[in-house]
Amino acid sequence: MPVFVEDPAQFSKPRLKSELIAHNVTLPAVESKKQVYVELYLKHIVQKSAADFSSDEEDDDVVEVQDSQDFEEEKDPKMLDPSVLTDDELKTTLLKYGVEAGPIVATTRSIYERKLQRLLKPAQPWQNGGTGDADQYSDSEGDEESVSQGSPETVSLMEENLHVDMRFESRIPLSSSGPEIKRGNNRSSNQGPCPRPYWQEAATVDKYTMTNRSLFITPKTSLFKRQIKEPVTDVLMEMFPETEPTPTGIAATRRRPIKGAAGRPVQFKYPDLPASPMTLQRWAVEHRLVPLWVQILVFFIVACLLYLIYAAMEDSLANPFVTLLDNLSMETETEGLSLQAEP
Amino acid sequence: MSSTSQKHKEFVAEPMGEKPVNALAGIGEVLGRRLEEKGFDKAYVVLGQFLVLKKDEELFRDWLKDSCGANVKQQGDCYGCLREWCDSFL
Repeated sequence: MPVFVEDPAQFSKPRLKSELIAHNVTLPAVESKKQVYVELYLKHIVQKSAADFSSDEEDDDVVEVQDSQDFEEEKDPKMLDPSVLTDDELKTTLLKYGVEAGPIVATTRSIYERKLQRLLKPAQPWQNGGTGDADQYSDSEGDEESVSQGSPETVSLMEENLHVDMRFESRIPLSSSGPEIKRGNNRSSNQGPCPRPYWQEAATVDKYTMTNRSLFITPKTSLFKRQIKEPVTDVLMEMFPETEPTPTGIAATRRRPIKGAAGRPVQFKYPDLPASPMTLQRWAVEHRLVPLWVQILVFFIVACLLYLIYAAMEDSLANPFVTLLDNLSMETETEGLSLQAEP
Repeated sequence: MSSTSQKHKEFVAEPMGEKPVNALAGIGEVLGRRLEEKGFDKAYVVLGQFLVLKKDEELFRDWLKDSCGANVKQQGDCYGCLREWCDSFL
């Protein structure tokens, strides 16, 4: 997905204008169609790059490289300052670096800007870090060249990495990348001397350039993602220090498949769970704050107490029944008395 | 994962509802307060940010660091917590 061919036709008209101005090319009439600008761009800017190259080759790749290099150089002022970009431009720029940006909203904007800045200033530190690999693919061109060539390649590979995967999730072993890099290098060397000096220039002159999203390294070769951790601290290792390095050197955290809660009930994962709301409700029904037997016991104790109190009251306890009995007996007695009294 | 905290387990066990932002793993009092000052007063708002960043780890960590000054461990805890929550409930 990395874009090698910076197709001027994709530029906006103002951008083309500004780039033409930067190259001291007279602008066409104001109402000119974009195509005119594109042609002018191609013509002049390509020519200018050719002059830099001091080569008489004009095959497409070279042209495209020059284009891309120039384009990148021209674009740099704008890219350097992501805050100038509109939301959409920021998003498309990030996309060019292979970053699938989410919605650029107020809260996310600064994050994406920072990310873009990070993508923009990749070269220097990584070049220094990548010299070890330069030996792998230096091509009997002298140390100077090979180092700077190696490092742009390293950088471009890094950038390919970033292109494809910003999440350091899958990486390919360095060993497999070695031969492929060599292959890429051979291809590049086949292109002739032109690109190399330019790379040197680019590497030294403009450290802000994304050196090359070099065409000499095709998407195929770039598919192997080198470890991003080399130049920068490995965040992954930092996060999971206890993981052993795998043979591929990757400590990828596998994303768990997205399943519903039913597919992977949490209870199995965390056996010592605190209660979920449902279980809490169930428990509330089943359990009381105080155990049941204690409640019953207390009930009986209180009942006994009340009975005793009631009994302690002298007349009240037997009152209803005793008085009734008394009344009855009194009645019978009175009757008896009255009966006796009357004979 | 034995390295997850109790807070993590509790958070991941159920829908977050109206839980405060302190309930997130890795977010304690200080960080929680800072987040609240920025308007992220509930866990679901942070979840919203997480989702808007497309659940990307690096971006979310950046954002956390930027908005409340979380360190690497706290970032990781919070990210892991939210990610697992999403895996189960989203």
